[in-house]
Amino acid sequence: MLGIEHLLFVLTTFAFPPVALTVLLCIILATFGKSLGLRQMYVDTLINIFEWGARQIKTTEKIRRKESALTAPFFLNKLSEEADDDEDEIRSMETPHFEATDGITDDEIEARSETESHDSGEDFPSVDSDFGDESCLKRKFGSTTSLASVGSCCSLRNRKMSESSTLGIIKRETQIYLDDNFSEDIPDEVFVRSRGWAAIRDSVDFVKAGMEAIIEDEVTSRFEAEQLVSWNMLTRTSIKFYQFVNWKLSALWILGFMFRYCVMLPLRFTVFCIGLVFLISSTALIGLVPIGNWKKALNHKCMLICYRILSRSLTAVVYFHDEHYKAQAQGICVANHTSPIDALILSIDNVYALIGQKHEGLLGIVQRALSRASSHIWFERSEAKDRLVVAQKLKEHCTNPDKLPILIFPEGTCINNTSVMMFKKGSFEIGTTIYPIAMKYDSRFGDAFWNSSEQSWCGYIMRMMTSWAIICNVWYLPPMTRRDGEDAVDFANRVKKEIANKGGLVDLEWDGGLKRAKVPPKMVAKQQERYANRLSRYTSVSEVVKDEDVDVTSDYLVDKPVSGYNSLEDLPEDVFIDEEEDETIDAHDENENDDPAGESNILPNKPLSDTVSLVKT
Amino acid sequence: MGNSNSSILSDAEMREIMDETQFNKHQILRLYTRFASLDKNGQGYLSRDDFLNVPELAVNPLGDRIIDAFFTLGDSDGDSKSGQLTFRQFVRILAHFQPISKVKDNALNSRKDKLRFAFKMYDLNKNNYITREEFKVILNSMVGANITSDQLDKIADKTLEEADQDRDGKISFEDFCRAMEKTDIEEKMSMRFLN
Repeated sequence: MLGIEHLLFVLTTFAFPPVALTVLLCIILATFGKSLGLRQMYVDTLINIFEWGARQIKTTEKIRRKESALTAPFFLNKLSEEADDDEDEIRSMETPHFEATDGITDDEIEARSETESHDSGEDFPSVDSDFGDESCLKRKFGSTTSLASVGSCCSLRNRKMSESSTLGIIKRETQIYLDDNFSEDIPDEVFVRSRGWAAIRDSVDFVKAGMEAIIEDEVTSRFEAEQLVSWNMLTRTSIKFYQFVNWKLSALWILGFMFRYCVMLPLRFTVFCIGLVFLISSTALIGLVPIGNWKKALNHKCMLICYRILSRSLTAVVYFHDEHYKAQAQGICVANHTSPIDALILSIDNVYALIGQKHEGLLGIVQRALSRASSHIWFERSEAKDRLVVAQKLKEHCTNPDKLPILIFPEGTCINNTSVMMFKKGSFEIGTTIYPIAMKYDSRFGDAFWNSSEQSWCGYIMRMMTSWAIICNVWYLPPMTRRDGEDAVDFANRVKKEIANKGGLVDLEWDGGLKRAKVPPKMVAKQQERYANRLSRYTSVSEVVKDEDVDVTSDYLVDKPVSGYNSLEDLPEDVFIDEEEDETIDAHDENENDDPAGESNILPNKPLSDTVSLVKT
Repeated sequence: MGNSNSSILSDAEMREIMDETQFNKHQILRLYTRFASLDKNGQGYLSRDDFLNVPELAVNPLGDRIIDAFFTLGDSDGDSKSGQLTFRQFVRILAHFQPISKVKDNALNSRKDKLRFAFKMYDLNKNNYITREEFKVILNSMVGANITSDQLDKIADKTLEEADQDRDGKISFEDFCRAMEKTDIEEKMSMRFLN
């Protein structure tokens, strides 16, 4: 008993100064926005180690394969061997080989992260190389140039290639389209021997599309954590990858585990607490200052410091690009949404006003604290149902020059950072300048995606704090405004396309709300309409004389009950978490809360039109 | 899904599936992973709702028909299921969509098999005939409220007229095959499975 006490005593005495020192160093550096480059070194070391680990896995795999030609191990991820060769040619620009050397090019990064300081200076050699093509670190990043845009195209292409070749089961050949251009489907008249049998033949295409969707679809995969191409030494990803390879790897894995949980976690937690305390106290103080320039400047400084401290608590390494496009004046900043910490990451560099639903608990405290120092928009849940009220508040905020630019995530829900889903049109109707921001996380070091159906908020934070690091690339895009004659939906799609291109993400038309809600009947009806349109263009040869054949659509399209989705999806949703409780309720209520388009001056939402032309093979 | 467990298929099961269908080990494993990810409750079988969670399927006008096909045609003896689809049944249905086998004779994916699969999808009451009413149901799913029932009737009538050789008012499997003679079923009903 006594021995243990002594031991603890000794440990604390020795451990305390370095810990305290590190934390202090971290805070001080955050205050001044400086960096020692330690985090960058940490990241580089990690990459080297990851890559070493992957080589280990590969060589062991090769040996094993040779030894037992008949019973190849069921390494799901390793069937990429064949695919590897294909990918080599494809990736001309980025890396020389798919395999081991991927990590090396990462060292070419010139990190232009704003604030750099590392709380633990140890270079822990952790193994694992994860050369996912999802890594954006392979590109060279200049500080203000958009070299990244070239890289991002490559990355997208590579990602797509890799997705289909290493992780896909089939190659999709038919697809259901969601856009409106069903007039292009088919030329004006097609002569068929029999319309009925032509319909049966078309139905076979529908069946094929359905079957393909069952095996591999674009949407459900976006609501799950991104698949890693190779292991990153985290226990949580090990199940898929790790079969015992060799003792070295295992030892490193265990060491890594201990490092993350015993060293990093307490440090991060301490820093987090300090940051939170600082946030609350400083905003309280700022709240006492009378409104004016002084307050604004003070707020600016303090917010930056707070967020820098908080981001260090996650070991966030963020690279900002194209800072000259940063939002200075008022306007709306839109970004793709991956996790609740998106707002945190973006706030390291610039101060924003936030919008979201009021919460209880710790988050509620934070919200109230923030509101003291500058104006944010927090709305009650009941108000959230009322689109008009929110839209009004938004407009008021944006037209007031004293207020900060507002940060909105138009997808409305967290997507796993491989794609950008439908943007809700609410923020695009207001008419102010939009400052798009593209964010891409590197999931090798820690997947920031929050799957709210699988993890609670606390579980999520724990995961964040026990990952290696959170690495994110943020691109500021040139501001965009709505063109004449362009409606909100088209504008939203235009912005979404820009963001997807820049971040190397797949641009999807599907609504992120489908994560929880079912597909509304209206969407099916649209597909039927589209097919009926196609069917109407078939002219049966034998009946070309009679004229009652054709002429199918018009009368039946008016007055279709507008059910399902139409009412609330363009609501700008939370910055922070809110998804679970609120969205499930939303999905239910939407069917009752139909918003007759006449009442509000917001256009009926078109993106939900889906039109089939399956036979685009 | 990236972090969920990969395979708990036994070797014996794996071999059985490989015998029955033409999938190789890797493909079966991947299909299993997909099956597991669709099975959100981790029960080891799929329900109709699990299928409807795939938006691209839910949006498909024939989505319901397709889901039905899984549940009624999954068993080799054609019994209707209790609303639970096992992995074996799942793969068996998907095997119909493999490219036509040049090797096996009695595989699940010969031209005749594919046609039979399609035929069964339309033959709602499984009496081996597609009646006029059944045809109307299919067509109705595809076009929804966009055509009048008169037009629907007319199209149905003409369809039967053209294919029904023995004039019994319904389409048998032979009639069906004949009507689809010129159609490239191999192409239309095959998916490109990657290795």
